[in-house]
Amino acid sequence: MRADVVVVGAGPAGLASATRLAEAGRQVALLARGNGFTHWGAGSVDVLGRVGGGPVERPLEAIDHLPEGHPYTLVGQASIREGLDWFAGFAAGAGLGHVGDPERNRGQVTAFGTLRPTCLLPEPAGGQLRGRVAVVSFGGFRDFSPALCAAGLRRAGIDATPATAPLPTWDHNRYFTGVELARAIDDAGFRRRLAPGLARAAAGAEVVVVPAVLGLNRGHEPWADLQSLVGTPLVEAATPPPSIPGLRLFAAYRARLEALSVRWQFGFPSVGVERDGDRVTAVRSEGASRLLTTRCQELVLATGGVAGNGIEANRDGSLTERVADLPVRGFDGRLAFIGDRFLGDHPLGGVGVRVDAELRPLAASGEPLLTNVRCVGGLLAGHDPTAEGSREGVALATAARVANLLAATPVR
Amino acid sequence: MTHLLETDVVVVGGGVTGVAVLRDLALRGVRAVLVERFDLGTGTSGRWHGLLHSGARYAVRDQESARECIEENTTLRRIAPHTIEDIGGLFVLLPGDDEAYADKFVEGCRASGIPTEELSQAAAHRREPLLSPDVKLAFAVPDGGIDSWSLLRSMAADAEARGCKVLVRHPLVGVERDGDRITAVRVHDAVAGQDRTIGCQWVVNAAGAWAGEVGRMARVPLTMIAGKGVMVVMASRYVRGVVNACRKPADGDIIVPQHEVAILGTTSEQVPSADDISVPPADVDRMIDMCAQMVPAIASGRVLRAFAGSRPLYKPEAPAGGDGGGDTREVSRTFTVLDHASRDGLDNMFSIVGGKLTTCRQMAEAVVDRLAERMGVTEPCRTATEVLPGADHGSHRLAEPLARVERDYAYGELLCECELVTRGQVREAVAGGLTELEDLRRRLRVGYGPCQAAFCAWRAAGMLAEARAPAQGSGDGAGPDGDREPDPLAGLERFLEERWRGQRSTIWGDQARQALLNHAIYRGIFDLHGDGVPDEAAAVTAAPTEDGGGDPTRRVGDELVGDSEGRTSSGTGA
Repeated sequence: MRADVVVVGAGPAGLASATRLAEAGRQVALLARGNGFTHWGAGSVDVLGRVGGGPVERPLEAIDHLPEGHPYTLVGQASIREGLDWFAGFAAGAGLGHVGDPERNRGQVTAFGTLRPTCLLPEPAGGQLRGRVAVVSFGGFRDFSPALCAAGLRRAGIDATPATAPLPTWDHNRYFTGVELARAIDDAGFRRRLAPGLARAAAGAEVVVVPAVLGLNRGHEPWADLQSLVGTPLVEAATPPPSIPGLRLFAAYRARLEALSVRWQFGFPSVGVERDGDRVTAVRSEGASRLLTTRCQELVLATGGVAGNGIEANRDGSLTERVADLPVRGFDGRLAFIGDRFLGDHPLGGVGVRVDAELRPLAASGEPLLTNVRCVGGLLAGHDPTAEGSREGVALATAARVANLLAATPVR
Repeated sequence: MTHLLETDVVVVGGGVTGVAVLRDLALRGVRAVLVERFDLGTGTSGRWHGLLHSGARYAVRDQESARECIEENTTLRRIAPHTIEDIGGLFVLLPGDDEAYADKFVEGCRASGIPTEELSQAAAHRREPLLSPDVKLAFAVPDGGIDSWSLLRSMAADAEARGCKVLVRHPLVGVERDGDRITAVRVHDAVAGQDRTIGCQWVVNAAGAWAGEVGRMARVPLTMIAGKGVMVVMASRYVRGVVNACRKPADGDIIVPQHEVAILGTTSEQVPSADDISVPPADVDRMIDMCAQMVPAIASGRVLRAFAGSRPLYKPEAPAGGDGGGDTREVSRTFTVLDHASRDGLDNMFSIVGGKLTTCRQMAEAVVDRLAERMGVTEPCRTATEVLPGADHGSHRLAEPLARVERDYAYGELLCECELVTRGQVREAVAGGLTELEDLRRRLRVGYGPCQAAFCAWRAAGMLAEARAPAQGSGDGAGPDGDREPDPLAGLERFLEERWRGQRSTIWGDQARQALLNHAIYRGIFDLHGDGVPDEAAAVTAAPTEDGGGDPTRRVGDELVGDSEGRTSSGTGA
């Protein structure tokens, strides 16, 4: 196989990079081991939630206080704005309108009743929690506890009451997941049967918080429809994985990539590259029974950090980048990977590949190592996507930078 | 202060020994109360590899222990089959091992009455397909797996059904003496937050590795040696039965499959305090490397956690200098009954020290025989013949939980896919008064599987929250309406932090990824930080201790660490 640009990784950074490069007229192949943080995230766009352990109100201003080598410092504010603008337009075009902006953080309600700081929220998650709030789950759904959510909201000073709405009978398994329930809610008839029970459970509240399961394949339309049937604003709370807002987004990306004729190999871990001097000429990935080689002019690595499986953490404290064996600074021993508290910070969350301003990987000496390789998203050193709440922002900003850099590269 | 209750015998310690003592007393018709500082099985009984000894491990050096083991192995299979996985065991000789040891091993087993059978290489590999091809000799022995929490619950339920009482979260804080007699013990009710007194005629000190501290409170000299053993939990079983190295006991010489995991054991190191349960990464590495000699696939396997337990070793003479060094394998694993009347002039207290889980019933019989004689109780011991509640289903089989989930629709929805815990089980446990995720873990194995609580913990926390919430029609069963309602998120955060402690030395490879994904869920999605949360753990566990008479190792600050590590990362399974 052959492509102008091979993008490795189908998380937030890889999907945005591949889409933008294809929109810019490059012939793109996307190779991915599996799903990424669309499925594992909260379904929103975090830009910068915390710096130095404290919460951030205005992400773009806080970026000035980030250390040198942070991806935002490398690509600059303009790339962040442009990345988010592009995303908002793309998502809205796919029926997944978002609210919010990078100027200030808003609170996204979660299944625990916490209000996590984020910038862009899918419309179904964007409503304000004011007045009396009913937290409603659906009968038999395991993955959302209204009592837990309401207790958390009360801790945040919100007048919240838990309740459960019965589900209409439907053709479901004994244990159903959020995905199955969301698919059922895609059906207009199902929503009509569901709405009265939901309205009763809401019991006159001004806002109803529900788990983020209101539809899977119909954009935000099932949410809007159910909201009008119930007659009360519905706010989707972020649930544990898989993220249904993330699945909606993933499906939108996939449709867009197919429309752009991007070749897509899913379930093929990339395990090596072929080089010619300081250039990569091909990527090797594992097929069902053989190694596949995809030749390329440019390579974009969006394989993620340790969490995303772009970097392997070894027993002796060293770190290995999985595709091109790029240098990653490790630790003296594995105990240094992690912090004492699980809910604190972990050095391993912030490891990555050091790059120059054009996102090219650097050798230990500080010189560019491979001139036609760009690294984006969680793979980059200098940031911890979970601890600082920057995952989608870094993905979109670095994807914007790569799109600008590579759109200008003449096709050989 | 009034007496909380009056009883004939107070048993101190809720490990297998104490609970076995309580059951023995119950079967002889004696009124007794057991006091335990945390929950049943939170000390050494919950921090070991889960081996039902055949005794073969001791056949060369300590045949008295070996004989006790095979005898009790047979007894436990009769009275508590439901707690036992009848998987058998192998002793394997590797290249470089001393073949003369194998001869001594066979002879020792014969002399101790332990049936052994030498297997051909082919037979050994048929039985254990992942066994190293280098294995030179293999001997089958009647080892097994035993679930100590299940055993504890059965024995405690039996004792309670016969009128005895179990008080968990009631640490002993003092002993009231009138001359050469104990008149009462003082306990701290950690839930109500106040001290209470239990008047009693007799005290049995069954505090295991902590027996010395009970001795100090009663003002009798009693020195225990803390023998730390580190164990490593692998994410799958690897072996069908127990696999032992056929050599002088050494680090990393045993693999015990248990529930969904395998446990590699163990080190043996003398440490200054039984509360020292730290796990150096080098110990983990050594365990993996040594066990991989027997089962090579372990070298590249996924490691879930590591934990340490404290062996309750007793040496009649004080250990040399207490310098904290030395290999504690040289100390006998048999047990000792101390009658403090003849030993120390304290009329009405016995201590039962040493021993091991496999011989807990025998230990109880020995001490209760002596006690009964002094009390004038003539009822003989019946614990070896009376089967335990729950024993009628035969021995535990690995696939049984799955079979039950598939067979019995009403059994419930799964709460934990790793360990096949159902919502029905959790509901029942919550209705029975459990309020903490930690208790659910020990009871139901919530949080033990490969994902290490990524999904089950918040589902269970939700059910706990529902039980506490005012009835809102969710129909999930009413919870205990206690005077204090813990914040469900605080409980969850505490559970996560405590689980983390057992993972710290095993974070690399796939498990590093799992840890960061879990972090992305709890910290990233749910925005939990664990700060600003009132730490109830401190309030619950930091029981005040008497100065001097109290426990010098239990400083409040450290206690939390020792405790959490202890009871949480604990677990035979991991």
